[in-house]
Amino acid sequence: MDTRVETANIVVFACRHCAYAAADLAGGLRLQYPPSVKIFELPCAGRVDVLEVMRAFEDGADGVIVAG
Amino acid sequence: MIVAEQKPLEEIKELLGDAEKVLVLGCGTCVTVCFAGGAREAAIMASSLRMASKIDGVQRIINDMTVQRQCEWEYLDQVADEIRDADVVLSLGCGVGVQAIVERFPEAWVVPGLNTTFMGMPVEQGVWVERCAGCGDCILGLTGGICPIARCSKQLLNGPCGGSQDGKCEVDPSIDCAWQLIYDRLKSKGKLDLMLKIQPPKNWQKARHGGPRRIVREDIRLHLEEE
Repeated sequence: MDTRVETANIVVFACRHCAYAAADLAGGLRLQYPPSVKIFELPCAGRVDVLEVMRAFEDGADGVIVAG
Repeated sequence: MIVAEQKPLEEIKELLGDAEKVLVLGCGTCVTVCFAGGAREAAIMASSLRMASKIDGVQRIINDMTVQRQCEWEYLDQVADEIRDADVVLSLGCGVGVQAIVERFPEAWVVPGLNTTFMGMPVEQGVWVERCAGCGDCILGLTGGICPIARCSKQLLNGPCGGSQDGKCEVDPSIDCAWQLIYDRLKSKGKLDLMLKIQPPKNWQKARHGGPRRIVREDIRLHLEEE
């Protein structure tokens, strides 16, 4: 894997009912992903406002994923 | 409502100059509901400016606050300390808001973050249109509730003109001919006779042509009660 990708700070806003459950399943399956990926569980991805995305970038995120 | 839109970020950065402490001040009334300068937009603007400053290598402290109405001093007084503490106040209020801050806090340097554009309303989500020109002498009672001052490109009092084509204005085919709308409306209400009344030249002194306007209501002025 590209080392830049491995060290990129990625913030993930994940819906509890689908994307977060999928991430959980990935963990259960022992699938690997870089430790610089931070997953935040939300009751619904619809909660994510542009403000949260900007806050993530302000705090040093290289990328933001909204998954739901 | 007063409808406004944000200035480009580059212009705002220029207006801020070399200020170290910036207060982005939102307004909770008209510009909130037209998504130009409310609490959310103020927070986004502050965040954008913080990131822009970081990219530009400029040291800046940028905070945001929002008051219910920038055009009333009582609300501005609630953030007096923050206004005085800032090198520059970036107002996301309309032009009235900017001037209200300047008048209340002469020591503050205030710059506009919005271009105040017109009095209007949303006709669909994300689309605002002009509906009132504040001419000071309302004639909507004669025109079926459709304003030719705000909506006719020529502000005709006795329209339509020859530039009305298929219900559209010759200035731009996306503009409805106000006088066609007026005709259709009056016809549907059986009041076409109103069209036959020739309107005399309008007294534009009641609009901007008589200089800055003001309204004085002696019945609600406080000093009269005190006397």
